[in-house]
Amino acid sequence: MVLRRKLAIVDLSKEKVTVQDVPNSLRKALFGGRGMNVYYLYKMLGDNVDPLSPDNILIFGTGLMTGTLAPCSGRFNTTSKSPESGFLADTNCGGYFAPELKYAGFERLIIKGKAKKPVILHVTDNNIEIKDAKDYWGQTTNEAQKRIRQDLGPVEMVLCGPAGENLVRFACVRTGVKNAGGRTGLGCVMGSKNLKAVAAYGTQGLQVAHPDRMIQKVEELKNYLMSSKITPILGSVGTLLLYEVSNAFGGIRTKNSTLNAWRDDHNAAFAEPFIEKMIACQACPVHCRHRNVFGGEGPEYTTLVLLGANIGMEKYEEIIKLGNLVNDLGLDVSSTGTYLAWAIDLYQQGKLDKKLTDGEELRWGDYEQAVRIINKIARREGFGNILAEGNRAAAKLGDPNKDYLIAVKDIPQSDPHDVRYMKAFALGIATASRGADHLRSRPTLEIFFKLPLEVKERIYGKGVTADPTSYDGKALVVTWSERIFATIDCLEMCKFICHGFNSPHFVDYSWMKELVYCVTGWEMSEAEVSEVGRRTVDLERLFNFKQGMTEAHDTLPRRYFDDPSPLRAARGHHIDRQKFAKMKAEFYALHGWTEDGRVPEERRMELEAIQ
Amino acid sequence: MKYLYTYPEKCTGCKLCALACSLKHFGECNPKMGAINIVRDEFERYEIQFVCLQCDDAECVRVCTKKALRKEGNVVIRDEKKCIRCRMCVVACPYAGVHSFKGKIIKCDTCGGDPLCVKFCSTGALKWEEESMEITERRKRLASALLKR
Repeated sequence: MVLRRKLAIVDLSKEKVTVQDVPNSLRKALFGGRGMNVYYLYKMLGDNVDPLSPDNILIFGTGLMTGTLAPCSGRFNTTSKSPESGFLADTNCGGYFAPELKYAGFERLIIKGKAKKPVILHVTDNNIEIKDAKDYWGQTTNEAQKRIRQDLGPVEMVLCGPAGENLVRFACVRTGVKNAGGRTGLGCVMGSKNLKAVAAYGTQGLQVAHPDRMIQKVEELKNYLMSSKITPILGSVGTLLLYEVSNAFGGIRTKNSTLNAWRDDHNAAFAEPFIEKMIACQACPVHCRHRNVFGGEGPEYTTLVLLGANIGMEKYEEIIKLGNLVNDLGLDVSSTGTYLAWAIDLYQQGKLDKKLTDGEELRWGDYEQAVRIINKIARREGFGNILAEGNRAAAKLGDPNKDYLIAVKDIPQSDPHDVRYMKAFALGIATASRGADHLRSRPTLEIFFKLPLEVKERIYGKGVTADPTSYDGKALVVTWSERIFATIDCLEMCKFICHGFNSPHFVDYSWMKELVYCVTGWEMSEAEVSEVGRRTVDLERLFNFKQGMTEAHDTLPRRYFDDPSPLRAARGHHIDRQKFAKMKAEFYALHGWTEDGRVPEERRMELEAIQ
Repeated sequence: MKYLYTYPEKCTGCKLCALACSLKHFGECNPKMGAINIVRDEFERYEIQFVCLQCDDAECVRVCTKKALRKEGNVVIRDEKKCIRCRMCVVACPYAGVHSFKGKIIKCDTCGGDPLCVKFCSTGALKWEEESMEITERRKRLASALLKR
């Protein structure tokens, strides 16, 4: 039964595993995944904890839908306090690990303490064993997973690479070849706990409340998803489809945002010769993952731009190879591409001494140099040891105020969108709970220029405009998007099929309500379902403010305010500070937060009472 | 005659087919219990479906000492009551089309001639089709592959 999966608390210092039941009242309030993860983090993490100390906690959490027939439900969130920002660390990741964890009987693992020597957790039916990791420590993510499978059989894993072991601040957690919990340095947290991997294999299926209805409804939903014009495109080129639309108007982060458009021959169609097959995460009919001919997976749109245009790379195949390398080492693509671009830009401006770069003259578009530096970052050698500190290297790199770093709340921007033209995107990345991040609220429909205003109004509400450069109504758009994406993150279904992410159709609150009923038997209203997302967003806000965040952190990279975009339709556009402040105030009001962006006391008490 | 055909080159590995199968036949979402089974390895780079081929002269039927298996039309039917779960059919099947899991013998019954798995496949990697269509399709693909070179 879905509702009997357990919570396991693993204390690595004491080598002790405690298994607990989970109250359904808590599941009903937060569904699981991202919401329940931040709930436990907020409740359990002490004050002033150093993210790299044994006192930090690391949570792997599945959602209500994980492992079921619900489409695109192979997902989980990993949550902690970020070694990159000091605020919330949280990522959402697909693949096959999360269902396996649930089939083994667990919906969530909370990891405390630090192992004396490198270990892995081996999860089997209702059992968790702490095992020696000496045979895997030091290995890349691909090598280690192959080796662990040789030793333990057909397990699915989440793990860190050499970058995580070496405490690179922006190391990711990975499952499989490319799927990553990329942002906010969770691989670094794994490394700090001497935890190389969690490997799971389970035999226990998930019984649902209404099996026949679920089969019928999911078939209906699958056919509905497949009948959309966008689905076959997502299934043949994946996220790369976004390059052409964004590049056309000048929304591509290029050379550390000194430019805002790049080569037209980086459009999705040009990737085709390098793609062997499109593959899927568990239960996903969309299949947006590329298996490339260079032995890895990808590229995603993010890889294409942040290891491409943003560091001046011209050749498609070299970008794909850089993506494969970064994935294998266990580095986050977005942060790696942003920090590299930052360093090259600073070098070109003459702010960086050659003594610091091991004698390298940092250049745009030098593939061999990029390979050298990326390898050094993961192993913390020479100049790589400086860049491995991420934003904390600012003073050493000659940019103490981080004026040229494209980051918010010390987290480099996740997506390739240059947001100077698109004001809703700008508000979204400025206010996201995990730094400059598009996946919290990306209002994609904003740049569907042809979408009629009445459709936008129906989705977001009265007061939106059809003009991406206007500041009006953008708070509404971001708040609406943030809430529904948070809800689907709690269910642990992929945002790709969420209403408002890639399409004005797809999985809305009404579909979520139906799936929740099929799986649990709970009869919830659409409004009640949407409250789950709202609670999650508020809990994340509470956590961040407890860690010292203030209203001033909801801002943008200096460049987006002060340096207008130079190219294409976006030329001359930048973010106006006053208009931005007004938009932000509207956003706080819509959330019911105070003028200085705080969750009101009454609401805090209400959320703290959830159990 | 219609059969269930698999096209591994189109399989994305998602297991929706196996999930639907297990939910229908065993009341639980468990891809390891699907009569159709997906074997995938992203490091070795393959996704392949394993399912009963409904052989005309089937090894499983031949080795079953309890006559729990018989061919009826285009389906090899398994009689749950006669079956003693000796697993000989699992061992004997040269195509790994029958399997056992947690003490259960699991074998495709084509859902009575309307296989559910096919409805959950989004790429055409599973097809319930006439044998003539199957060979036509494979020949077409082979032709286009040959002409590309």
